[in-house]
Amino acid sequence: MTSFSRVTETGSRTRVLSNLQRALGRGQQLQDQLSSGKQIRRPSDSPSGTVTALQLRGELRATQQYARNADDGEGWLGVIQDTMSGMSSQMNKARDLTVQALNGGDATSQSDEALAVEIDNIRASLIESANTRYMNRPVFGGTTAGSTAYDAAGTYVGDNGTTSRTVGSNTKLRVDTTGPEAFGTGNNQLFAVLKDISDKIRSGDKDGLNQSLNNLDSAGDLMKSALSDVGARYNRITQMKDSAQDRLLTVTSQLSDIEDVDLPKTIMELQVQQTSYQAALAASAKVIQPSLIDFLR
Amino acid sequence: MGSTFGGINTALSALWAQRRGLDVTGENIANVNTEGYSRQRVQMQQNLSSVKARSYATTDGIGEGVRVSGVERMRSEFLENRARTEHGQSAYLQSQAGSLGAIEDMFSEPSDTALQSQLHDMWDGWNDVANNPQVPAARSAVLQQAGTVTDTLNNAHNHLSDEWTANRTQLSAYVDEINSAADKIAQYNDTIVQATAAGRPTNELQDQRDTQIMKLAELAGATATERDNGAIDVFIGNSQLVSQFQTRTMSLSGAQDLDAQAGNPLVMSWDDTGTPITLGGTMGGIADTLSTMIPKYSTALDKVAEQLATQVNTVHKAGFSADGSTNLDFFSGLPDGTITAASIKVAITDPDQVATSSTTGTLNNSVADTMADMASVYGGADQTYQSMIGQLGVDAQAANRRAQIQANVTDQVDAARSSESGVNLDQEMTNLLTYQRGYEAASRVLTTIDSMLDQLINRTGMVGR
Repeated sequence: MTSFSRVTETGSRTRVLSNLQRALGRGQQLQDQLSSGKQIRRPSDSPSGTVTALQLRGELRATQQYARNADDGEGWLGVIQDTMSGMSSQMNKARDLTVQALNGGDATSQSDEALAVEIDNIRASLIESANTRYMNRPVFGGTTAGSTAYDAAGTYVGDNGTTSRTVGSNTKLRVDTTGPEAFGTGNNQLFAVLKDISDKIRSGDKDGLNQSLNNLDSAGDLMKSALSDVGARYNRITQMKDSAQDRLLTVTSQLSDIEDVDLPKTIMELQVQQTSYQAALAASAKVIQPSLIDFLR
Repeated sequence: MGSTFGGINTALSALWAQRRGLDVTGENIANVNTEGYSRQRVQMQQNLSSVKARSYATTDGIGEGVRVSGVERMRSEFLENRARTEHGQSAYLQSQAGSLGAIEDMFSEPSDTALQSQLHDMWDGWNDVANNPQVPAARSAVLQQAGTVTDTLNNAHNHLSDEWTANRTQLSAYVDEINSAADKIAQYNDTIVQATAAGRPTNELQDQRDTQIMKLAELAGATATERDNGAIDVFIGNSQLVSQFQTRTMSLSGAQDLDAQAGNPLVMSWDDTGTPITLGGTMGGIADTLSTMIPKYSTALDKVAEQLATQVNTVHKAGFSADGSTNLDFFSGLPDGTITAASIKVAITDPDQVATSSTTGTLNNSVADTMADMASVYGGADQTYQSMIGQLGVDAQAANRRAQIQANVTDQVDAARSSESGVNLDQEMTNLLTYQRGYEAASRVLTTIDSMLDQLINRTGMVGR
């Protein structure tokens, strides 16, 4: 404050008032920050902080969504994995039966028929498994809008479209496996091979059955490799989910650093401000009150 | 030698002068809290005795008492002018900071509920659609979320528009206030010039006139210069508003609402010459708000809406929906195809028409997925909105700081002004004592002369009685 040659009541009153106002204003701001818990309440509090806060909020929302997407993807891949491991053991059973039919040289046609029926049953149950649905969609059907991936005859009725989930910024992970990828195509298609096997057991065509056994093995290999692919993707999506959740914590704490008040610091500042405000009030009361009038008789 | 009774006259003049001094001190004390009051001071001058040589003019060489030559109004015209400038500037900056604060309040960012978060809700909605394109509920949800976004954009535009209209109404009210204040100043000029010519004191009138001029300075950044005859000329933006007893009137013309503003800008002009006026003060701040600030943020908001609609529509048109339709716009605007914040709306009402797939008749999710990715795309609507909020923050912060600094400067000038023209009670009490003592002493002089004359008249020539 500049000192003036002449001090007047109005002047000093105005100055005292404006100083008190300023102190009160600062206190108000600190109280606002404390009560709202935010140090940025409007863009002008910190323009760059506001933009960062907006971006971090965006990232927070995106990361939450990535975690949700990964959850959903985990569901898909989990269903596929479970289904395929079940199918795999059923296939082993079918292979055992085929080998039994091959080895049973003197078997009666009745026992052949029994084997063939069992393989037919396994095939039907495998087709049922291949039509497993998740969220009302056949998981092996690609992007088909229909309700099944394979018809009763074991023909693929899905499409080759793929489904992916965004599990990180610019990271899209495939969460489905189409029927042909898991169960083969053409002559090596699992259901065709099984049909073939039961037909050949019935007709007693052992050479053909041998060939079909090879086809069954290659279908089994295909399924195993598809299963390991699904397993790998399942692992990856779990990792992505974990890293999304970790990122969520980081971003939340970053956002809090920018937006939220530093409680001890703000409380200290408020305390200091209150003390100085009270001191200013006390000083003003002393300065304003006396005048020459008090000392004149 | 002076007259025998000359001393009585001298004492009488002193009694008068001291009483006048007491009166003026009383006036100062009475007005200690009056706004715009300038303290007054009695100017005393000694009465000269006759110095010209005349046969009947005898002088004893000492003066003939005291007289009050005038009551001075303690006021520095220089400080007054500075105060007008600083008050005008302060009012201008306060008005700007206020308007920006109102715009900030309107957007109320950063928050978990404002437009940015609604945009996030919508992108999340698209993500849910991408995850489960077969579920109609997800598509209905995204339509609702998009509807919230468009509602907020519409509301934001309406708020800006309302703010604009309110400011315009305020500005035209101020125009009337200026015109009437100018008339008052011209009347004061008239009275003051006549009174000054007649030698009558006009201190109180001048104080009142200064108060009016200060009001004009705060309203429109007016400046003033004083003439020799006591009249004051008032200028706004270098043109004369009041010239002695003449006033000019101004008026506001131009657009009545925000949307018409670009084609028909607001003009404040003199009624007589039609030339436009550059305003300062509160009105200058409002004029800036109307012509620059609100249009700026309205345009930025339009850009956000337009970008959002264009980008979403481009992706949406390429996709196929559950009922097989394609090439549909997701957002629409005015009938001529332009999309603004005021007109943006969701064009689709049927959830089955929300395009999700890049091929027809499948549950492919690539369109919905691309849509969800738009949340963080470079140059997307979110980014434009964020930079607009950033810009608003910078503008508001700068305006607040400038207003605060200017308020300090204004305080300083006011302090300097009050140190010149304000009433100090200590000083007035001292004056009171001084004049009281002066009065007492003058009475004593009178008593002394009286007893001296008593001695002469009643007791002289009584020898031997």
